[in-house]
Amino acid sequence: MKWKLDKKDFKPFLQSLMVEYDLFAPVQLAEGVSVYKKIDRPDEVDLSSSNTQKPTKEVFFPQSETMFRYEKTGNQHQVTSTEEVERKRVILGARPCDIQAVLLIDQVFSGKEYTDVYYVNKRKATTIIGMACDHPLSPCFCSSMKGGPFHREGSDLLLIDLGEAYLVELLTEKGMTFQKNKFFKEALAKEINSAKEIEERATKKTDGSLPVAGIEKRLDQMMESPFWERVQEKCIGCRICTYLCPTCHCFDIVDEALTNKGQRVRNWDSCLSSLYSQETSGHNPRPTNRERTRQRIMHKFNYFPKNFDRIACVGCGRCIIYCPVNFDIRQTIKEIQNSILQNEK
Amino acid sequence: MLSSEFVVRSKHINALNTELKTLNFSRAMIQEKIREKARELLSKKAVDLIIGFGEGSLPLRATPLFIRSLEETDRLIWNSFCENNLSTYLHKLSQFKVGLVVKGCDARSIIALSHEKRFKPDQLFLIGVPCQRMVDRRRVKKAVKGEILRAHEQGDQIIVEGEDFKTILKREDFLYPSCQGCIHRTPIKADVLVGDPVEEFPLIETYHEIEEFEKKSPEERWKFFEKESSRCIRCDACREACPMCYCAECFVDSSNPKWMEKGLSPQDLEFYHIVRAYHQTGRCSGCGACERACPMEIRLTYLTQKLNWDVKELFDFETGIDAETPPPLSTYEIEDKQEFIK
Amino acid sequence: MTAYILHFALCIEELMMENPYLPIPMVVKKSHLETTDRMLRTLEFSFINEKDAKAFHFIPGQFCELSVFGKGEAPFGIASSPTENGSLKFTINKAGVVTTTLHQIEEGTEVGIRGPLGNGYPMDLFQKKNILIIGGGFAFTTLRSLITFFLHPANRNKVKDITVIYGARTPGLLLYKEELVEWGKRSDIKLVVTVDQGDKDWKGKVGLVPNVLEEVAPSSENTYAVICGPPIMIKFTFPKLMALRFPNERIYTSLEKRMKCGIGKCGRCNIGHLYVCKDGPVFSYAQLEKLPKDY
Repeated sequence: MKWKLDKKDFKPFLQSLMVEYDLFAPVQLAEGVSVYKKIDRPDEVDLSSSNTQKPTKEVFFPQSETMFRYEKTGNQHQVTSTEEVERKRVILGARPCDIQAVLLIDQVFSGKEYTDVYYVNKRKATTIIGMACDHPLSPCFCSSMKGGPFHREGSDLLLIDLGEAYLVELLTEKGMTFQKNKFFKEALAKEINSAKEIEERATKKTDGSLPVAGIEKRLDQMMESPFWERVQEKCIGCRICTYLCPTCHCFDIVDEALTNKGQRVRNWDSCLSSLYSQETSGHNPRPTNRERTRQRIMHKFNYFPKNFDRIACVGCGRCIIYCPVNFDIRQTIKEIQNSILQNEK
Repeated sequence: MLSSEFVVRSKHINALNTELKTLNFSRAMIQEKIREKARELLSKKAVDLIIGFGEGSLPLRATPLFIRSLEETDRLIWNSFCENNLSTYLHKLSQFKVGLVVKGCDARSIIALSHEKRFKPDQLFLIGVPCQRMVDRRRVKKAVKGEILRAHEQGDQIIVEGEDFKTILKREDFLYPSCQGCIHRTPIKADVLVGDPVEEFPLIETYHEIEEFEKKSPEERWKFFEKESSRCIRCDACREACPMCYCAECFVDSSNPKWMEKGLSPQDLEFYHIVRAYHQTGRCSGCGACERACPMEIRLTYLTQKLNWDVKELFDFETGIDAETPPPLSTYEIEDKQEFIK
Repeated sequence: MTAYILHFALCIEELMMENPYLPIPMVVKKSHLETTDRMLRTLEFSFINEKDAKAFHFIPGQFCELSVFGKGEAPFGIASSPTENGSLKFTINKAGVVTTTLHQIEEGTEVGIRGPLGNGYPMDLFQKKNILIIGGGFAFTTLRSLITFFLHPANRNKVKDITVIYGARTPGLLLYKEELVEWGKRSDIKLVVTVDQGDKDWKGKVGLVPNVLEEVAPSSENTYAVICGPPIMIKFTFPKLMALRFPNERIYTSLEKRMKCGIGKCGRCNIGHLYVCKDGPVFSYAQLEKLPKDY
């Protein structure tokens, strides 16, 4: 059975969610610029762009997050951890690529030996309402990266825009708890068919032809290749690609302090930053942009697959769209696959 | 923001019209001349490499291109999307002799950098392109509904096509604000000019945006800046795109003394942008690379324009016009004004 | 000067699972300078809560993230051995904000530690083998832990011959000088201490570590080598180990890399697909051969 939510019921639906949940959705900061924020009013939600600048992972892994606060009162140090999540959360409008990325990062932050409680607590408390991409952009290559504009893995509910209404698919146990929601009506056969057509059209639009098969093995042989010197030349070493990438998970930990109190904070960091691997002795194993861009690409397409069997790229296209010098990872992938290796010469 | 009225000085109307009529021709000619020059420089081994522009992988984009062989010279292009300031690459190429394609603003950055001794005297060969002003690709995108899949220039038009639309836009309506106000479009001190020098006139008064902005109250102005800087994600793209930002340790990374934190507190975001703008005073050529790089579309040129205007008013100085006169904030004269010392 | 103990109370409501980022409260028991250039100082910390002390089990080669509230965290190899009950020793090089604060810290001050982290030395593999330990400069810290462990009566029989070659630039820069004297008196350990440059009081050996190794020429048969030192020392010592026919699988080292979380989440310390904090910092050369030269 499939459900639908009429668009005229959308705001009341959100309002009803906000009674029980903290609602996170894309919010427009300026024309063409949107990020995920906690919503105070349903009319703040902006689902008009094909994707936000900062990805969905931010809801679980904020760019700047306090880990604990401490206060010195007399002879006592009081430490208060901020790992608890006060209320249940709902993310609305997450795209399948961003959700795929969250599943990848899940593997880093959860773990048998150490669990990143800040991330995991938020994950456990959150229901994800995904939004299928009926109009993917041309730089999107999710279909080449084991994803797709209607990829359902990771969503608890999936909304499909039919025009006058959203088709609602309840995909998981968490999603099924919405079955009795008073705003959901039974979807008509024609609506279900319409959704199928939209899905077919959208899936055809995204690029599924990028040659990523075997890239991990190819990169194994390329660590010292002159390829890296050449490919990074036009990169200016800004950090846009890493900050907007939904699978990047590097962070820095710092203390912010006043005299008697302060907090320990974690902030997103980037392997492209020159100080990232700077050692106290003065030695830096990645002294130039060559080593740093190599690290980025190797991590995505070789190191992460070695640890987790998946390429750490979901084809969202943000790094291509926002790079100031139009560095295109699709071209890089093709060049890697076409490069003549030593033993093939 | 910008009004769509152009304040064109009447005596330049003829020049504007001629320029508009010959856009296609001059673009193609410039492109060919850039390639010719590149071939000449590479075959004579006068340079180790050429940095210019190549075809972008997305519509409305060009990309910096590094070439070292004659076969590659055919990849060099010239169009209204060649918006990057390529002089920012010079800092990591100090051991090479570089042939660089520069627009008017880029050449001014080079002169500013030469005052700061950032490269050796004969290290550069500047291929100067008299600029026809660059197109603001973000505004073009916002002018149509739907994704632009193809775009090309034709004369003074930009033709954009999507899945179910084809729109013709007037190029003049979509130029970057910094380009609209520019009066130094012909590169100064270029080793060669690959086009005829253009008549220098602004389409809007050079500091028009700032003049309008200054009419607002201090509270309104602060609110604007607060809103713009609140979007900042500390990616430092503005800093990396800027040719004048080359400090080995940027003030944001200093831990002793620690000037600011690494998070997103509004005070830190505002502090960063204000201080970075101030570090450009007397050094900024107004190229707009900072604003063009910003993924959150922060209006950074408001800060730099204002400082450039102040420098003009207070010191009668514009960055990178004169290779002899050093920047006022890096020199000391006995006659320097001192009224601020009370 | 009255030392005062600052008590550290954790205010956490319901802990769903253990938070690996929260430091364990410790107090500074002792602090003394190790080297004449005043750059290296050994600090001894004791646990404030007994249950933390009981739960803390480590092996030589592991490290902790030392937390100075308001300044930050930094990783340090544990210099004390698990046989030295109740307190932990770290030898700290004064280099940045956190380490400078640790150098100035008063006894009785409260700090935090997170640990034990890392994989430690392969103690199982060392059983019934000869151990050759080569250390240089202030990389000797975790080697002290290893040596002290094996010299303890309960553990001495676990390994056969113990040979230690330890070198510093000058006599004043040697760490653990008193212990070196004690070890030198023992018959169950062969200790060779050397300096690059002697001084008027130095009566010991003068010579670079790689040359001393060549001189001592320990047998590689049935022997594991552990080498920790500055890159330049390793660069010249390694070929000597090869000449003595030590295979890569039996040469171990502890790597340095910039770290933050210490638990393999923040991504910073990777060498290829391995993390120095989690899969290291101890690696064999056989392992390192297969990894990118990213260190």
